[in-house]
Amino acid sequence: MAIGDQLSPGSTPGPDADAHVEVTEGGVRCAGAWTVGRIARLEKRLARGDWPQGAEISLDGSAVTAMDTAGAWLVWRLLRTLERDGVRVSLRGLRPEHKALLEMVEATGVGTAGTASAAAAPPLERIGVFAWGAGRQLFETLAFIGEVARSAFRSASRPARIRWRTVLYNVRTAGFDALPITGLLCFLMGIVIAYQGATQFRRYGANIFVVDLVGLAMLRELSPLLTAIIVAGRSGSAYAAQIGTMKVTEEIDALRTVGIAPLELLVLPKILALAIALPLLTVYADMLGVAGGMVMAKSELGVSYPDFVDRLQYALLLSDFLVGIGKAPVFAAIIAVVGCFQGFQVTGDAESVGRRTTISVVQSIFLVIVADSLFSVIFNFLGI
Amino acid sequence: MTATNHAAEPVIEVRDLCTRFGAAVVHDGVNLEVRDGEIFALAGASGCGKSTLLRELILLQQPDAGSIRVLGRDVVGLDDEQALPLRRNWGVLFERGALFSSLTVSENVGLPLREHTRLGDRLIDEIAAVKIALTGLPPSAAPKYPAELSGGMRKRAALARAIALDPKLLFLDEPTAGLDPLSASGFDELVKHLQELLGLTIFVVTHDLDLLWRVADRVAFMVAGRIAGVGTMRELSTTEEPVVREYFHGARGRGAWEQAWKPR
Repeated sequence: MAIGDQLSPGSTPGPDADAHVEVTEGGVRCAGAWTVGRIARLEKRLARGDWPQGAEISLDGSAVTAMDTAGAWLVWRLLRTLERDGVRVSLRGLRPEHKALLEMVEATGVGTAGTASAAAAPPLERIGVFAWGAGRQLFETLAFIGEVARSAFRSASRPARIRWRTVLYNVRTAGFDALPITGLLCFLMGIVIAYQGATQFRRYGANIFVVDLVGLAMLRELSPLLTAIIVAGRSGSAYAAQIGTMKVTEEIDALRTVGIAPLELLVLPKILALAIALPLLTVYADMLGVAGGMVMAKSELGVSYPDFVDRLQYALLLSDFLVGIGKAPVFAAIIAVVGCFQGFQVTGDAESVGRRTTISVVQSIFLVIVADSLFSVIFNFLGI
Repeated sequence: MTATNHAAEPVIEVRDLCTRFGAAVVHDGVNLEVRDGEIFALAGASGCGKSTLLRELILLQQPDAGSIRVLGRDVVGLDDEQALPLRRNWGVLFERGALFSSLTVSENVGLPLREHTRLGDRLIDEIAAVKIALTGLPPSAAPKYPAELSGGMRKRAALARAIALDPKLLFLDEPTAGLDPLSASGFDELVKHLQELLGLTIFVVTHDLDLLWRVADRVAFMVAGRIAGVGTMRELSTTEEPVVREYFHGARGRGAWEQAWKPR
């Protein structure tokens, strides 16, 4: 159903003909309903041009049954187009109310050139804008880290000011609530590792070494990494979205005006909470990962549970466990800082919240993996 | 544009409307009629059910009982698909503008045209520019994003979007709320001007007394889910209904009254 039909009691009823023009002897006759829903075909006709020749033509509007601003705009545009071609146009037969509309459209002063759409910038300019943006982003990240550090030192000197209730709440949402998913994924990862190892070890009859494989891989690398990635997806994104939305609704500004530092209320507790929750989650992930390997070792390689646990004590050093756990607070800091920083980077609109949330997850996972490889290099160098 | 051959049928007709949220009764038998070509205002204290009534008229909410006819159609119980032709024939200005923040002003205004017509991009941009100019915004506002505009400009841009499809009926929800007095009176003039130019029927929800005095042709006053009085502001200001009297004869009410009737 098109616009401007029987639903609109205000419009003049008439033939529901689409707007059209007829070329007559020395003139153009406009007819039909020149309303927004009925001018699509007319637009194409007008674009084609093909007007009667002559220095002067008449435009007859007496057969126009209805008109709205869109239709009036087209009449006005037709007039201007003809005049630009050096044709004098005399407008005849237009109803007074349509004429009023035409005058109104003319009074707006909008030109036929339409709205100037922004031209695409040349490539060099775009590269420059991109580089400038990236550089500024880096600078702002460093500034944010500095601000957080300063705020952390200030809070550390007065522990009573730390918002422990918020910290505990965040430990629960980021840590305790993540237990099921983290546990399940690490259990499955243990199974996968053991299964991959099983085929190789069986060939050499070195079945028992599956314990070393699962234990070392899970404790040193996979548990901390997997846990960090899950937390980045679960909590880092939530931090970015929460702070971003608060920024859109001016809650951050409101916090400042009542004398609460947003960093102290929103960022520090989150960093602290993740620094507590992530190592704990990693320990839990270690256990579930090894358990997964144990199940697989028994069913695939016939390594009994007591044998597995027995061997585990020789296969693993305390340092292996500590290496894994030691990375967790660093990962936690990365996730929380990136999430919060991206939240603060939100400007104005809803789309920006979504974009920043995405960036926070991608960036924190990226940085976690970069940090993990740095750790590997350092530990290798130190011989741990 | 204000043809009168349909004038017998009101543009909006609400009969015995009842709405409840759980135990809370929002509307308890609302009756009102909006005539073709008039600016009809719905006034009342905060929380009296004005905005809920507006939401029911524009099909964002369903009443529990009663009937609503808009543009000659029963709107109660319509699904989204059935409502589409109606929705194309009215424009809505939301209290906070509700401009799409990821689109520029020009794109915001052009969006209904792009969705509901088969016009070319260039023509749509031009029509959007006309609408933007009609609402008194400078052309420089067109390529800006809503976040870059002041509150008053945002309201105007939202109004431009509301009239994008040349609707016959315009709903305004608190059009002057949050504007400074100068912008607000500018907006009053704009609404009146557009109504005259385009022959619109306007339904406005407001508690802005200046707007009620200067712009509205008729006013319905809502108290606790009922219409306590309908008429021109002059008629209402002499009513005996205590709540309405209080509303009009409080300090601010008198001020607005004097302003409106001071010889200019």
